[in-house]
Amino acid sequence: MDLRRPGAYLLAIVALAFGFVVAVQWRSQLIAPGNRIEQNQALLQSVLGLERQNQQDRSQVASLRVQIGNLEADASTRSDQTNQLAATVNGLRAEAGATTLRGPGLTVTLDDGKKGPDLQGATAWVVTYQDVQDVVNLLFQGGAEGVAVNSRRITPLSGFQGTGGTVVIDQGPPLLAPFRISAVGDRDAMQSLLSQTSSLGDLRLRQRLYGVSLNVDLSTQITLPATDSSLEVRFAHSP
Amino acid sequence: MPTAPEHRIRNLAVVGLLSGIIAFVAVVQLRSQAEVQASLAGQDNTALAFLIDDLHRAHDTLEGQAASLAHQAQSLKAGGNNAAMVALSAQQQQLQIVDGLVAVSGPGVVLNVTAPLTAVDLQDALNNLRLANAEAIMVDQRRVVAESVIEDSNGQVLVDGAVVGDPWTFTVIGDPTQLGTAAGLMARSLDSDPRVKSVSFRSNPNLTIGAVIRAHPFVYGRS
Repeated sequence: MDLRRPGAYLLAIVALAFGFVVAVQWRSQLIAPGNRIEQNQALLQSVLGLERQNQQDRSQVASLRVQIGNLEADASTRSDQTNQLAATVNGLRAEAGATTLRGPGLTVTLDDGKKGPDLQGATAWVVTYQDVQDVVNLLFQGGAEGVAVNSRRITPLSGFQGTGGTVVIDQGPPLLAPFRISAVGDRDAMQSLLSQTSSLGDLRLRQRLYGVSLNVDLSTQITLPATDSSLEVRFAHSP
Repeated sequence: MPTAPEHRIRNLAVVGLLSGIIAFVAVVQLRSQAEVQASLAGQDNTALAFLIDDLHRAHDTLEGQAASLAHQAQSLKAGGNNAAMVALSAQQQQLQIVDGLVAVSGPGVVLNVTAPLTAVDLQDALNNLRLANAEAIMVDQRRVVAESVIEDSNGQVLVDGAVVGDPWTFTVIGDPTQLGTAAGLMARSLDSDPRVKSVSFRSNPNLTIGAVIRAHPFVYGRS
């Protein structure tokens, strides 16, 4: 090659650049799986750290609510007006799931079945967040005054999400089967609705096909914990 | 006055009880950590990145709630009767909104969908809006909270016994940024659904939700 020709320099630069790109690409192909695993581990650690932090926040919220309840009880002794308002607020708080609720009720336990012949997709034997939400919905239809899923209290603002067999309520810690859905209220009305063949059709079908389990236990005394999720309203106001 | 052996028995009982509580708390903590770890097994990096985003948002919300509660506690501690009345009135207003018992105004989004949606679709839409920190939701003219009963009946969807949709109007009040993002994602997802004839949403700085939930006094439960 005649290096005095300008085209030779151009060719050399292009070849260098090409070689560099190929080398980078080859190297990234080589190290990608390791990197992916490292990244996955790093992301997992972040998730676990955030879960721990949020758990601490939730404990703080729960403890502040107890403290406020006690301070309000003190304040209610100061005048009849304060006493009346404190009682109203306490009633609203109970309705929002921000106080412990005790009373007769029942617990529905949902558990995964066995992986069998695939008639409805690969995860039909797994209990999903939609199954859990269907049961919660049915219990409210039966007049439940309060509901908790694996001790996470449902509030008027509660949202469900999940992937596979994981259920996340109000961005709280992920819950796994078995799911214990407890409700305080009219046991007969709730049980009657649960036993109707038209109720929970999809779950009942999967109970037969895949052994997904659905058990109901009645109780004279159920205790539902108060929510530790946020109930703060920052944007909505009375007109 | 208790004798020395009685003292020892009482001390042993207290120590035993405390040890039991500590063990219980430790087991619960370990179990919940184990549940978190088990639920994360096999999740890919994209799913974990979304989860981290959710957890950050949850953290911000919880921090906001803790700060507001701490302020409330401080007001109750420091003030006299008037301060207690002010703090209680503020609580009353907030909780009435949360429980869906009063009409509300504020910024948010209106999502319009023309499609034969089912109860499952409606639950999914409501979940998405609540996870975007919706503070008040109205579907057509029905106020909806998590306790609202949603069911399919003869090809129609009922909310607390009343027929809703099609077309559907979701009026949602809350953080306009978060709700705008959620509505955008929902619109995109619905747009690819062959059942959906049209979907659109718009942000509005001043929406009003007039529909309210009827209060249900507790008959069986007590706090």
